[in-house]
Amino acid sequence: MLAEGALAAGCRFFAGYPITPASEVYEVMMRELPARGGLALSAPDEISSLCYCVGASLRGLKAMTATSGPGWALMIETVQYALMTETPVVVALVQRLGPSTGGATQGAQGDVWLAEFSTSGGYTLPVFSPSNAAECFELALHAFNWSERLRTPVVLLSDKEVGMTSEVVDDDALQLPSLVNRSGVTGAADYAPYALDEPDGVPAFAAVGGEVKVTATGSAHDRRGRLRKNSPEVIEVLLHLQHKIEAHAEEMALVRPDLDSGARCLLISYGVTARAARQAVSKLRSEGSRISFLQIQSLFPIPRRWLDQATASVEAVFIAEENLTGQYRAALASSLSGKRTYGINKIGGLISPQEITRAVREVMA
Amino acid sequence: MTVETPYLSADAQLPYCRGCGHALVVRHLSRALEHLGLSPRSVVLTTDIGCVGLADSLFPYLHTVHTTHGRSTAFATGIALAEASLEPTGLKPIVMIGDGGAMIGLLHLVHAAQLNVDITVLVHNNFLFGMTGGQHSALSPLNWITATTPDGNWTPPLDLLALLRTAHAGFLARQFATSQELATTLAEAIDFPGFSVVEIVELCTAYGTRWNQASGASLQEIVQRQGYALGKMESEMERPTFRELYRHEPESRRPRDSRPAVPRVNAKADLAGEVRLVVAGTAGERVQSAAGLFCRAALAAGLYSTQKNDNPVTQGSGFSLAEICLSPSPIEYTGLESPDVVLVVSEDGWKELQANGTLAACRKETLLLVDSQIGVTPPAGRLLQLPLRREANPKRAALAAIAAWLEKNPLLPSEAWEAVLAAEPAERRAESAAALEIGRRLALSCADL
Repeated sequence: MLAEGALAAGCRFFAGYPITPASEVYEVMMRELPARGGLALSAPDEISSLCYCVGASLRGLKAMTATSGPGWALMIETVQYALMTETPVVVALVQRLGPSTGGATQGAQGDVWLAEFSTSGGYTLPVFSPSNAAECFELALHAFNWSERLRTPVVLLSDKEVGMTSEVVDDDALQLPSLVNRSGVTGAADYAPYALDEPDGVPAFAAVGGEVKVTATGSAHDRRGRLRKNSPEVIEVLLHLQHKIEAHAEEMALVRPDLDSGARCLLISYGVTARAARQAVSKLRSEGSRISFLQIQSLFPIPRRWLDQATASVEAVFIAEENLTGQYRAALASSLSGKRTYGINKIGGLISPQEITRAVREVMA
Repeated sequence: MTVETPYLSADAQLPYCRGCGHALVVRHLSRALEHLGLSPRSVVLTTDIGCVGLADSLFPYLHTVHTTHGRSTAFATGIALAEASLEPTGLKPIVMIGDGGAMIGLLHLVHAAQLNVDITVLVHNNFLFGMTGGQHSALSPLNWITATTPDGNWTPPLDLLALLRTAHAGFLARQFATSQELATTLAEAIDFPGFSVVEIVELCTAYGTRWNQASGASLQEIVQRQGYALGKMESEMERPTFRELYRHEPESRRPRDSRPAVPRVNAKADLAGEVRLVVAGTAGERVQSAAGLFCRAALAAGLYSTQKNDNPVTQGSGFSLAEICLSPSPIEYTGLESPDVVLVVSEDGWKELQANGTLAACRKETLLLVDSQIGVTPPAGRLLQLPLRREANPKRAALAAIAAWLEKNPLLPSEAWEAVLAAEPAERRAESAAALEIGRRLALSCADL
């Protein structure tokens, strides 16, 4: 469904390298993309995969690759290049149990930090996390849209359990945004590839090979893409890389809220664990608990307004995620200040609804 | 498009040290482009990291992409691949990379040669990393003194062109930066349809000539000692370019949904709550495909289902299992926890369920339907053994087990099975129908089920 979503989003270039549990995306793209006028290719490694995608995107095509933790580790240099050159590209990161080779066929949500905090300078990389097959499709569209609109790399953070479980999808129930396509630049004699009128604006995109000269560079540059040192304009361009994301943070927010205005506590989850969490919330409510639930699909930028609303009246916040140390909980810390927070964490298997209800009952009893 | 200014202006201020070969290369490159009469917008100069990476700023009319270390070839390949999928515009990526970048990005060069994408790579081989202070590279000659080999290099230099020839590069040439023929060679390389590489041998005047007894005149001696030929190398064969190969994709390809289409039937399933079951057997014996067929039949009859498969990393040997959850409403949590039904059709499957804790998680209400040939230690739960492998054959046993269970727990209408069987390929349809029939028959003969 993730691959189908990418196709529906207008992806026209895919380069991949085999890795469990992301190989399904690779195989579907290899089979389907050429049939739809695009190009899909086997790359010799993950570094090449993403470099090819970024090159193709510079040429004007919507591009994606898919990998898992070990492959993502190799791609981080090129993700930063895409960020710096403001080149749209989507990476589907289908998590498995790490570290290192880890458990190739075991699920995990252990790459949240690795995905988000992978750039020197700590720039915000938009990260979307689906919890089921339908959301894989929907969020693939959102990922491409934001990548194109903001000229930035975007991560689709899935995992083995979401990516390799067959399930029923009701096509009619899918909630799909309209597609965003790159606005082309034609005939502008004074085109500056990194021009920005406003600090949070997004420069117009011109494809390499077109009429307008393009200057792309991963080095610190001015608005025209010229290598500069000690120039205030370079810092302005760098600040803009972050501002353009932050300025759209609320618009990017995607959540599935199930809030109770009289709740004493809030449960937050994402990805596959959100499914167990939703079930746990039903159970707790059937026992008389007042509890709110917030499934976050757009992990980054952090949907702060939703968090403020969901936490307004609660005493305690639980964050359930399938990793060792509570990676998203740590990322949310500044947004949850003043609240007691509790992590519900586990590795090596799905967190079950029973484990969540037990953890909530222990604290809230 | 007309060009009012040459590619590289005659009075361009080159940022290179006095005597550096890079300055000669950019002038020869400009001459080669002029000779070919290429529109500047049909060239994309892709530069690597290092002194050579400063070249993009010298060509104000070309598209330029200044990349990361060693990856310039890969970015250029991406541009060329995309170009090959579009209507031809004649766009030509030219890569400028050093000997250091060529080694860290070696597989990009190898793969670009294999793909035969239409790019030209200029490898500026000055035997060391210049910009970072004159460190040793994989292309440094033997005994070459660098910042990191003060007693001389002792690793034999890599013959890049020989290597790329084995990767089926179509055009390979080596020239000195000082050669009068360089512009001609570059023009020929750029004009070549497909992957072309030119190794330009030069000296770094900041470090190479400072620490070594080397001058322009001794370059000849260095390359001779290494057995390197100059000029165009014989390449293996003429090959179709990537664009030509790509355009020859079979026309028969048509888009199709990667998801199996499932027909809906009017008769509805009879299921009030959730059922969680596991089917376990041996890889290659259609365990997971039987589970898939079952899930599609459940969907045809209006149920929701999830299916999770598992097998050893080797895929084709050992156990194979599928965990299934069926429900009249959408399924959130997909974990098996304690299964309601366990169907086991081989010894491999039984051992895996023992190992992964499924058998230990069985309750006394759990129904275990197990092949008669499996020696079992009775777990918690209701255990029944049927001669599934013997009667149905190993490849039909999993589907027969599902049918046997359903015979006594008729939650799916027969129309649902008929509908999904009709959607199967003809040869598979008869097999599946036979398996279902045998399963039903075995169930009827088993009074305890």
